[in-house]
Amino acid sequence: MNIIELKNVDTIYEGEKIPAIYNINFSVKRGEFVTVIGPNGAGKTTLLETINGILPYTSGEGYVFNREIKRNREYIRKKIGYVIQNFEIDPLAPFLCRDIVMTGRAGKLGLFRFPGETDWQIVRSMMDLLGVKEFERRPVGKLSGGEFQKILLARALAQEPELLLLDEPFSNLDIYSRRNVEDILSELNEENNVTIVMVSHDLNMIPVNCSRILVMDKGRIILDAKSDNVDVSDLIEIVFSKSGNQ
Amino acid sequence: MIELPFKLLITSIIGASLAGFVCSTIGVFVVQMNLSSIGYCMSHAAFAGAAFGLLIGIDPLLGAIAFSIFTAFLLGPISEKAKLNVNVIIGVMFSIMIALAFIFLNLIPGQAATGVALRILWGSIFSVTHNDLLFLVFLSAVIIIFITVFYKEILSILFNRKLAEASGINTRIFYFIILFLTGIGVSLSLKLVGGLLVFALIVNPASSVYQFFYDFKKIIVFAPVIGVLSCLLGFWFSLLTDFPIGSSIVIVSALVFAFSIIVSPKRRRG
Repeated sequence: MNIIELKNVDTIYEGEKIPAIYNINFSVKRGEFVTVIGPNGAGKTTLLETINGILPYTSGEGYVFNREIKRNREYIRKKIGYVIQNFEIDPLAPFLCRDIVMTGRAGKLGLFRFPGETDWQIVRSMMDLLGVKEFERRPVGKLSGGEFQKILLARALAQEPELLLLDEPFSNLDIYSRRNVEDILSELNEENNVTIVMVSHDLNMIPVNCSRILVMDKGRIILDAKSDNVDVSDLIEIVFSKSGNQ
Repeated sequence: MIELPFKLLITSIIGASLAGFVCSTIGVFVVQMNLSSIGYCMSHAAFAGAAFGLLIGIDPLLGAIAFSIFTAFLLGPISEKAKLNVNVIIGVMFSIMIALAFIFLNLIPGQAATGVALRILWGSIFSVTHNDLLFLVFLSAVIIIFITVFYKEILSILFNRKLAEASGINTRIFYFIILFLTGIGVSLSLKLVGGLLVFALIVNPASSVYQFFYDFKKIIVFAPVIGVLSCLLGFWFSLLTDFPIGSSIVIVSALVFAFSIIVSPKRRRG
């Protein structure tokens, strides 16, 4: 069963004439682990935000969980965990880590419902899983880039998503943390059947357990293959010699 | 020191406390969402609306509410959709509102109306009526219910609007409710603090409290405390010095802010 289905999709940013992604034909089955790679400006983030409906596609058809994206944005988003590309956080921001992780459950819980003990247990267990449990009462603005990235991942996992969309999830992580997060993602994918689509501009960031690799350049998908069939040196040739900017 | 009849004194104290509560609580959202310039524009729209109300012979409060809600509904979508810099649009709107306010004031015939208009400009405890207090009580209740019921959504949006949207929250509706509450809060506090200064009462107490806490719950609790205290101290200072009440409240709240910056534990090294 396809969990994501995009047919001839173009997405144009407001005020722009040229699509950021175009003629995208892309489907993902439940339980797949897909890595999208490409140079900066290839359209990777646009692809993720088209899938969760943050950016409405301008032509074509898009379905997630068998529901048309534009008409069911809130429904599908409640089942999608999203990790945004690292953003600047004010060092004085008035938010504690545990509260930020809990915000991951806000949409899923729905209006007029308050987080209960079960929700807080999930928050604590996700923070524990990512090794940031001791930061529960720490302000988010006081964390290092890597620690903050783990809080964002814990936030996405606390949503108990069926689909995870990860935008450069390993940025700011040291090699040890990166392996740890990779293991967690693999476990979620293999044992809990969570579908994962992650993007990266760095070939070295492709997780070992990813089942499929998509290469994007200048808004198009230029390669879509099982990871076993892809040679990294071919990827380097395809992505980086063409773009000429890496 | 000015001596007031007991009933007027009580009305003024309650009015100042409620305006302080409403404005500083709304201020928590306005400051964190960087809506200061939008709110500033709305306070001047409320002032223009009050002047318009006087001109056509209706309650200035109704005019203020109508103009500030109109501005909220205009600025909300514009700030989301416009390809122009939002600050440019706000700058234009702000100047239009001030221009309209002065045109309306200029058109009001007679000295009495001018006196009322000036009270709207500078604020006056004498113009706060029993009905104004009831409206402020009602708005305070609405704000408390809004925060209590939608705390998780509000926190999510204040942290990062895109992530909140991506997790299935309809952020637009909350954004508009916050703008709407700001407009109403500004309008209801207009008579007390004055059209030119009401926005300081929104920004100053909330900004002061942000200097002390990392826990958002504490900010939501203590911002109204600082807001109410600023208003009461400002009121007392106004009686003491015979300065306009709006100016007195703003001076007190600005001093509290300056003190907060100096002693802020969040800004201390080590």
